Amino acid sequence: MENLEGLKLMAEQWSNQGIEYLQKIPPFQLYAAIGLLLLTTVLLLSFRLVRRTKSNTVLLSGLSGSGKTVLFYQLRDGSSHQGSVTSMEPNEGTFVFHSEHAKKGKIKHVHLVDVPGHSRLRPKLEEFLPQAAAIVFVVDALEFLPNCRAASEYLYDILTNANVVKKKIPVLLCCNKTDKLTAHTKEFIKKQMEKEIEKLRASRSAVSTADIANDYTIGIQGEVFSFSHCCNRVTVAEASGLIGETVQVQDFIREYI
Amino acid sequence: MLEQLLIFTRGGLILWTCKEIGNALKGSPIDTLIRSCLLEERSGEVSFNYGAYTLKWTFHNDLGLVFVAVYQKILQLLYVDDLLSIVKQSFSEMYDPKRMRYDDFDETFRQLRVEAEARAEEMKRTKQVAKPLNGVKKQGQVSKEETKKSNGEKKDDGDKVSVLSNGNHKMEDDVANGKENSADNNNNSVGVDVSKLAKLRSKGVRGRGGLRKADSLGSNKGSSKVVEPPKKATKKNRVWDDAAAAPKQEEEKLDFTDENGDNGHVDVVAAADQGESMMDKEEVFSSDSESEDDEPRSDEKPEAKKKGWFSSVFQSITGKANLERTDLEPALKALKERLMTKNVAEEIAEKLCESVEASLEGKKLASFTRISSTVQGAMEEALIRILTPRRSIDIMRDVHAAKEQRRPYVVVFVGVNGVGKSTNLAKVAYWLQQHKVSVMMAACDTFRSGAVEQLRTHARRLQIPIFEKGYEKDPAVVAKEAIQEATRNGSDVVLVDTAGRMQDNEPLMRALSKLINLNKPDLVLFVGEALVGNDAVDQLSKFNQKLSDLSTSGNTRLIDGILLTKFDTIDDKVGAALSMVYISGAPVMFVGCGQSYTDLKKLNVKAIVKTLLK
Repeated sequence: MENLEGLKLMAEQWSNQGIEYLQKIPPFQLYAAIGLLLLTTVLLLSFRLVRRTKSNTVLLSGLSGSGKTVLFYQLRDGSSHQGSVTSMEPNEGTFVFHSEHAKKGKIKHVHLVDVPGHSRLRPKLEEFLPQAAAIVFVVDALEFLPNCRAASEYLYDILTNANVVKKKIPVLLCCNKTDKLTAHTKEFIKKQMEKEIEKLRASRSAVSTADIANDYTIGIQGEVFSFSHCCNRVTVAEASGLIGETVQVQDFIREYI
Repeated sequence: MLEQLLIFTRGGLILWTCKEIGNALKGSPIDTLIRSCLLEERSGEVSFNYGAYTLKWTFHNDLGLVFVAVYQKILQLLYVDDLLSIVKQSFSEMYDPKRMRYDDFDETFRQLRVEAEARAEEMKRTKQVAKPLNGVKKQGQVSKEETKKSNGEKKDDGDKVSVLSNGNHKMEDDVANGKENSADNNNNSVGVDVSKLAKLRSKGVRGRGGLRKADSLGSNKGSSKVVEPPKKATKKNRVWDDAAAAPKQEEEKLDFTDENGDNGHVDVVAAADQGESMMDKEEVFSSDSESEDDEPRSDEKPEAKKKGWFSSVFQSITGKANLERTDLEPALKALKERLMTKNVAEEIAEKLCESVEASLEGKKLASFTRISSTVQGAMEEALIRILTPRRSIDIMRDVHAAKEQRRPYVVVFVGVNGVGKSTNLAKVAYWLQQHKVSVMMAACDTFRSGAVEQLRTHARRLQIPIFEKGYEKDPAVVAKEAIQEATRNGSDVVLVDTAGRMQDNEPLMRALSKLINLNKPDLVLFVGEALVGNDAVDQLSKFNQKLSDLSTSGNTRLIDGILLTKFDTIDDKVGAALSMVYISGAPVMFVGCGQSYTDLKKLNVKAIVKTLLK
């Protein structure tokens, strides 16, 4: 009995001592410590949020001569100025579309990158792919058939790129130069591209499971390739850079930015 | 008269064209200039010819602008260089990245053009008048000054005043002389005129080629008698020139091939399955961190003056200096030396350095970068651009396309002696077989002893059919029959082996172009060894030249691809790949890196560039 009381007395003494000690610390130190803790947790959470915000980069890619630079300037300035020649370097810009200048309210800026289409400058595309949120693949609807194979190889390389597959970057197959009479329709172009990619699929993944030329394979085994088989969304649209008919492209970009 | 003068950005937007001379240009000279010259790292050249036009250009690297002047080739306009540099200066003063239209430049341009023309007229006139007074030596001096990129020389004014008072004689002669001189100076004095290769591709038989053909046809008959031995029982010694033939008594039957199989044991090695060809393996290359060591840099310039070093360090920190030619020269010279130690041909290294210099001159240094690192970066980009193939090198796709058209895909292996054509042909056959493509070999090397047996052995080991007709047959005819046979039995690919030949050997090159013209192969693969040095340039350019000169039909077949062999024997002296690709424009499709069937791989562009610049 005495032991218990002795222990109780000691416990009381200790608790009193603890409370006294706590009260001895000046109050603002305590508040400062608590404040720091709160601040660091808030910062950590906000960092996580920041990393999740999507990039606003859209790539304009396609073969040389398909009309990417003209399209770039149409989207930016509403006119193609005095024409263009083969690009040697990418054109970049962060802006709101020319047609959206009149709109009120906060419109998010688009970081548009026009990557040169010449085959020697192909490595430039790889530089921009990691930050892309959407890709517009421009195809010349007028001179489609002679370039069909090269265009489909380029598109195949993009669709099987590791970045594109992992992040499921959406791709728009834009048929340019549709203001001309003899331009092909987008349905025709879509079918042709699917056929060519099917052939490419057969020839490139002929042997090993590890496809050495491309990072991934696309499509479903045993079925004819179709764009709906891709894990990322592939849509088709028509446009004309020369006369400024770019509304479908803008809608596509605004869907994702 | 100037046809057109264009100003455009490196990104491709045209900023200004001259509206006074609004002639539409025939074809698309600007696009062709960009594709075949500027993007091929030939921007160090003086001019570019396209059709009836000559194009000259200059860069403003700081603002990223390109100035191009187009004029008729037959007119030797002397004021173009002068005009381009003045236009560059005045336009860069009024350039604003936000502005897209520069209509007010029309007026300025008209004045500048009038001034430049006037200056050129004066110079011509002083040159004409100076000739009778000062003799030939002065004229040579003056014409040299004319063709250099120089603004009006002050001392000409002094001459003009004193000379004009005497009147001028013999104007026509002097004008002709002046034009001749400038024409000579304009031509590249380099042995290999690289720009001519662009012409070779686009045009068919040239008049020059036609003439040569007439000669060659005549001499062909003469030499064919010597080349094709009489169909006797004994084999005559093959003589290529007028050397005395070896005594006939010693000639016995040299062809020991038994009609019914080989002597000795027949080891039927069942389809030599040695595993995956290295073409299909992932290239595992060590990615060491790109650390820019300071030690190797300091070795380059041991005699750098203290003051020079300090100012360059200062400039590298502030980063405001505009790069001048004098700044770039030491760095470029060191880079050229380094490339040459890596076995790049000397002319190619020179041209590359000129091209990089043209693209860097006038550019602002970014802060915290040295000149040497800027130059290195530019050179690296240029090398990657050259080595990246211009067209797709996907052979499997081409094979499948040919299969759909129900015809075999024909590949012809050409090259000089001893580079490894037969060995690498077997490697390619092995790789194709692994990809379930049916291959057939054609033994069109009917000259070298043992060539047919060699291919027969490979064919037996790989278990693929071989088409052979023995020795002393016309290779072109053998190839034709082989292709017919392949069409009959449904082979997908025909690999044609040819005899090695030196690029200077006229009759052999004629035989080769006959083979190519007759059979129209899908792929002409030039086999070159990585050990070759400066000779690579000569080999490739002569092969291309002969193929284009001696082609009969409209579309000339040139070398479509390069197979680089003996890559395992060179440790890091990989420059031959660069020389070959630069001079021919053909991509490297395969790399042979050993002597067994699996030693065939693709060219890894980044690894090569890294090795070249290490």
